[in-house]
Amino acid sequence: MPQIVLKGVSYAYPIKEGYNVKALKNVSLVIDKGEFVALAGMNGSGKSTLAKLLNGLFVPSDGEVLIDGLSTADEANIFEIRKRAGMVFQNPDNQMVATIIEDDVAFGPENIGIAREEIIERVAYALDAVGMSEYRTRTASKLSGGQKQRIAIAGVLAMKPDILILDESTSMLDPNGRKEIMDIARKLNDEGITVINITHNMEEAVLADRLIVLRKGRIAMDGTPKEVFASGQLEACGLTLPPVTQLSDKLRQGGFDFDGVITAEDELVEGVCRLLK
Amino acid sequence: MFKDVAFGQYYPSNSPVHRLDARVKLLLTLLFVVAIFFINDYFGFMLTLAVLIVIILVARLPIVSVLKSVRGILLIVAFTAIINLFFIRDGEVLVQAGKLIITKTGVHTTIKMVLRLVLLISGASLLSLTTTPVELADGLESLMSPLKLIKVPVRDIAMIMSIALRFIPTLFEETNKIISAQKARGSSLDTGGLLSRAKALIPVLIPLFVNSFRRADELAFAMDARCYNATDKRTKMKKAKLGFGDLIAFLFIGGYFTVILLDRYYFGTVGINIDMMIFGDLL
Amino acid sequence: MPAIEIKNLNFIYSKKTPSEKHALRGINLTVEEGTFLGLVGATGSGKSTLIQHLNGLLKVQDKKHSSVVVNEMSATDKKTLKRLRFEVGMVFQYPEYQLFEETVAKDVAFGPKNMKLDKEEIDRRVRRALEVVGLDYEKFAERSPFDLSGGEKRRVAIAGVIAMQPKILVLDEPVAGLDPVGRDEILALIKKLQREVSPTVITVSHNMDDMALLADRIVALKDGEIVADGTPKQIFGNRSLILDAGLDLPTATRITDKLIANGINLPHDIVTMDELAEQLCRLKAAKLAKANDCDKSDGEDDEDV
Repeated sequence: MPQIVLKGVSYAYPIKEGYNVKALKNVSLVIDKGEFVALAGMNGSGKSTLAKLLNGLFVPSDGEVLIDGLSTADEANIFEIRKRAGMVFQNPDNQMVATIIEDDVAFGPENIGIAREEIIERVAYALDAVGMSEYRTRTASKLSGGQKQRIAIAGVLAMKPDILILDESTSMLDPNGRKEIMDIARKLNDEGITVINITHNMEEAVLADRLIVLRKGRIAMDGTPKEVFASGQLEACGLTLPPVTQLSDKLRQGGFDFDGVITAEDELVEGVCRLLK
Repeated sequence: MFKDVAFGQYYPSNSPVHRLDARVKLLLTLLFVVAIFFINDYFGFMLTLAVLIVIILVARLPIVSVLKSVRGILLIVAFTAIINLFFIRDGEVLVQAGKLIITKTGVHTTIKMVLRLVLLISGASLLSLTTTPVELADGLESLMSPLKLIKVPVRDIAMIMSIALRFIPTLFEETNKIISAQKARGSSLDTGGLLSRAKALIPVLIPLFVNSFRRADELAFAMDARCYNATDKRTKMKKAKLGFGDLIAFLFIGGYFTVILLDRYYFGTVGINIDMMIFGDLL
Repeated sequence: MPAIEIKNLNFIYSKKTPSEKHALRGINLTVEEGTFLGLVGATGSGKSTLIQHLNGLLKVQDKKHSSVVVNEMSATDKKTLKRLRFEVGMVFQYPEYQLFEETVAKDVAFGPKNMKLDKEEIDRRVRRALEVVGLDYEKFAERSPFDLSGGEKRRVAIAGVIAMQPKILVLDEPVAGLDPVGRDEILALIKKLQREVSPTVITVSHNMDDMALLADRIVALKDGEIVADGTPKQIFGNRSLILDAGLDLPTATRITDKLIANGINLPHDIVTMDELAEQLCRLKAAKLAKANDCDKSDGEDDEDV
């Protein structure tokens, strides 16, 4: 069932008087409920702009963005859309409004006027979902980047969203933090939440079911990660294949005749063993 | 440079003082601050110190955290102390060296002034050490709510205050980083004379401002994304409720305030006599 | 004479307070000139604290029992502190957040100006630094650093350090937050800087693949102590030690282990993808040759490659 629909969406940033930069050009896209989508592209490809169009932080200059049939251009829909499509940003330090963790998680539900008892329940649920319950009454300043991002995800979950948008939320994290966030995203997706992960990291992109690549404000490729990698167009979009896929390509030249594109270490190991024995 | 800034930083605990209603704490802090300005004998200062120690003990705060707040104003204290010490010229002369004169009155005024400042800052820091910024903001919002009638955006003001407190540690950390980076390029922040040090602040302040604007931008997005201003009927997870503890606290500080007032206006001689008993000839 | 010599370095944050934290414990480290040293460790293991001792940003706490000597200058000596800062170029994490001047050229000139060089020399160094980091002087010199792209800003920031012509270059997570193209460019740039400007390079990184590829020597920290020190092959040879320090193995090493566990005959000390590919291709070729031999003895010869 289509949940997110973009119809011919363009977006232009005004930078100077009478001078615009077109960040997105005529993008059309449908994302169904429950999908796990990676949205990739190099810096300046328009991927973050696209993300901010999905919850009405930006309104298209042209075309239309519909979330569950609600247009983001209609002011009356905006808070309903933001409730349904929660967003986690890049810098863990710049999205926390409160010093105490539970206060921060409660911020969203408080804003939409949820009753007190229910907020308490939701905060408990959200912190549990990201494995941070024991930190409830502590301050955020001593947490690692990964833990701060988990709190940010909890803040979104407390609004009971249908869609989780990660806007380069892992790009400032160390490998452990990155893994924590991806594990949570996967788990939430298994529970039925649509996940859209904006990233330029292809090791993360392979974890998604669908990979959309943007180039200069347009959709360059859209398919499963394997389909996109097989196209051979990734480099042209300023991205690089995951290390394992690069290795498999080198091995192919050395006579390893793998079936299809390799994106996981275990796939590669299995293939090599089969071909060497 | 700013490594151990503690002022304004919440010290998490679940003590009776932490659990007090933020509105009560705000009002009582105000009362405490006012009381300090009415003190004029050593008895009053000792009583204040005793009250402070009781609060620190009940709040289970490490004494260091309070002292750190005081450290932040040491320079101001020292500066005013020196001015007082050398410029008050009435009373019995204790030391005279050329044009420098130190008098007994000068010494006492200075000591009292230092005590006043230190107790004032310690008292105020107790509020921020035992109250989370959100509680503080909510308390302030509640106390200021009559102003809503004359269209003052009380909620936004409270939000701004809460965010400012939340970002103090972040900005100090950022300042430290920038200072390190500019020092690494040979800037004279920790070397050179006063003028060159002042000049060296520019390369710190500009990135700090630029980065703060960037942070503010991102924060605004994050708040919008989480439906800030979605409804006028914003709810609160934590509901302030006056309890038994608040009554005790009110009686305690109220009692202290009364004693200070009585000492000043009605039984001034009692305090002065106590001073005499303890300090004798020193006065 | 080694470029860096650290003896018994300890460091404690917020000494004698409840939040006291032992960041470094008994660090002994000697780095020869010309080394590309990778400094690795989990978040909070003491990497940043250690590198900030190299140019005296953090002071040696126990001068009696510890010492930090860099290019024969003691980091505790106030007289040589400025010179030390110029000889140890330090590029912090997200260095673009420290740009402040109106133009790129002025920002890059900040270090040389603090060195009190004459005008011509400053100008020469600015041009050279921008050229080395791959930014065209004519095109970028007069632009505001705040109008550049993320990758360009980072290059300007690096140029600002390079313009001091440091003999030792220290970089803290130099590719953090960059997209793949930006990453590759900066990593290549660091190699180039080592050849052309600063013979000794210390890079702090979380990416073991990069370190295995670039570093001559890797030092791993855990809770403020050096737990491993050696060539990439030596370091990653001790798998449990690396994992214990909260670090990853290089992708190539991880895959090698899985292959060995599956009965593939590979050397234990593979750390880069190229090595692994080479070894596997050799095995494949050997298998083909063997198959061909058998095929020949069977009187057939077809290849199915």
